[in-house]
Amino acid sequence: MFNFLKLVQNENMKIYRRPRTYVMLGILLALIAAISIIGYFVDQNHDTSAWNMIITEVMIAYMLITVFTIIIASSGVADEFTSGTIKLLLIRPWTRSKVLLSKYIAVLLYALGMVVVMLVFTIILNIILFGYGDESASEIVSPLVSGSMAAYLLKYSFLKYVSLVVTTTLAFMLATVSRSGALAIGLSLFLILGVNSFSPLLAALKYKWADYILFIHLDLTQYLNNTPMRDGMTLGFSVLVLAVYYAVFVGLAWYVFKKRDVAA
Amino acid sequence: MEQPIVQLQQVTKRIGKKTIIDNLTLDLPLGEVFGFLGPNGSGKTTTIRMMVGLMAMTSGEIKIGGYSIRSQYQQAIRNVGAIVENPEMYKYLTGYQNLVHFARMIEGVTPERIQEVIALVGLEARIHDKVKTYSLGMRQRLGVAQAILHRPKLLILDEPTNGLDPAGIRELRDYLRQLSKDEGIAVFVSSHLLSEMELMCDRVAIIQNGKLIDVRTIQEAGLDVDSNVHMLFEVDKPADALAVAAELGKDALREGDSLVIEANREFAADFNARLVSAGIKVYGIRVQTKSLEDQFLEVTGGERIV
Repeated sequence: MFNFLKLVQNENMKIYRRPRTYVMLGILLALIAAISIIGYFVDQNHDTSAWNMIITEVMIAYMLITVFTIIIASSGVADEFTSGTIKLLLIRPWTRSKVLLSKYIAVLLYALGMVVVMLVFTIILNIILFGYGDESASEIVSPLVSGSMAAYLLKYSFLKYVSLVVTTTLAFMLATVSRSGALAIGLSLFLILGVNSFSPLLAALKYKWADYILFIHLDLTQYLNNTPMRDGMTLGFSVLVLAVYYAVFVGLAWYVFKKRDVAA
Repeated sequence: MEQPIVQLQQVTKRIGKKTIIDNLTLDLPLGEVFGFLGPNGSGKTTTIRMMVGLMAMTSGEIKIGGYSIRSQYQQAIRNVGAIVENPEMYKYLTGYQNLVHFARMIEGVTPERIQEVIALVGLEARIHDKVKTYSLGMRQRLGVAQAILHRPKLLILDEPTNGLDPAGIRELRDYLRQLSKDEGIAVFVSSHLLSEMELMCDRVAIIQNGKLIDVRTIQEAGLDVDSNVHMLFEVDKPADALAVAAELGKDALREGDSLVIEANREFAADFNARLVSAGIKVYGIRVQTKSLEDQFLEVTGGERIV
């Protein structure tokens, strides 16, 4: 079989040859830098820990990365339809499944890249500004957490990345089904940022089916400091629920993409 | 005889209750420029979409190089280069990056081949500019370039002369002819422009309302110089001219200030001399050929599309 990686390389080219990708990265890094610099000047006595700044900024940065990844994921598929290039893309000796897979992989790589750049930038910048401290996680985050801050940050980032993947897959599916970037981006952002902010409310529902609502499981970091949204919820259960949603999103996206008549 | 490169067998496409393509059967041999002619909305693009697997058939079968486009898609499509509708490329990439993009998707396209194709379509000067700065004609050339990168056996071009200037159309026409003759590939061109098809194609299939109406060989339509054609004489006194025609034993038809007479070139010259000597001013003489357009309308029954 001819090299599938070349398809991924193509999709990467379509992401990284566009100025907007760098504008988004610039916005992200500028925001982090702004928070750190403001923090540096506010903190007259120089007793703020670098870890404090890092964990706050990583939380905010993840939100921004989610927005950007939704944009990249949605437009990656939908733009091919709106511009009509999908016709040229599909009439090659590749199955539609593999074409879609190459797009999906490129988006996940983009998300991973953004996370890594963000983490490295945040850590280095704050250590330069505030100095390295070796506080434990229980001092910085909550007394319920143990271990070093570095280990906590790593776990936190991983769990957030899992949410990011599920969210991205949702946006990817919406874009594939609707073929409209605006609709997919709008709807995903509404669901993730809008509805998600009501998740504590949803979690308070007394019904049994509320156990299976996507939004109360989306943020797995709730298990890091042992404060699940609903009593009796476990990490394993949340992962299972997310996995089912994930499978549905992927199944729907691939099914529709394979079957659809391309008449754009 | 060689196996046809494309076989359409009773291809039918229904969307809802509407039949878009009705039982279309067609064979294309290698080494021919084949025209696909029909008014807007007759199903040309739908047929092309089914040929390249962008749309599913309701029933029937399409084989390219002997492979089914349904069940052996990858083997079948490997033989095909195509532009479907407009040549839409990635506008934010350069022309060259676009070609690299499509080259990566097919085995065996070398950087040298990319350069060769760029030279062939005459885009050397602008190939490293972003496609969004290209004119429609240049995009069309880039579209042709991506279609022929992998040396397909079948080239499908949907309205390829859209947006090309006369020089570009001529160039494309010569190039397509050369491709079909020298490299022996089949070229399938759709258009609603009849005059263009006449110049470009060896054979033309006429389609209307999703049905194949006629397949014609173009040479048949060529005009013989000595044959009788309708001549139109523009004169100042048509009534007098009509009398002159009657003297010569010809029936003439009056059309406003003009006379239409069925004659060959010799007769037209004589008739003109008689008119002048009879003191009738002749402002113009034209051959009133039955245009391809008339022929086309005749074949399609002159039916309105909408």
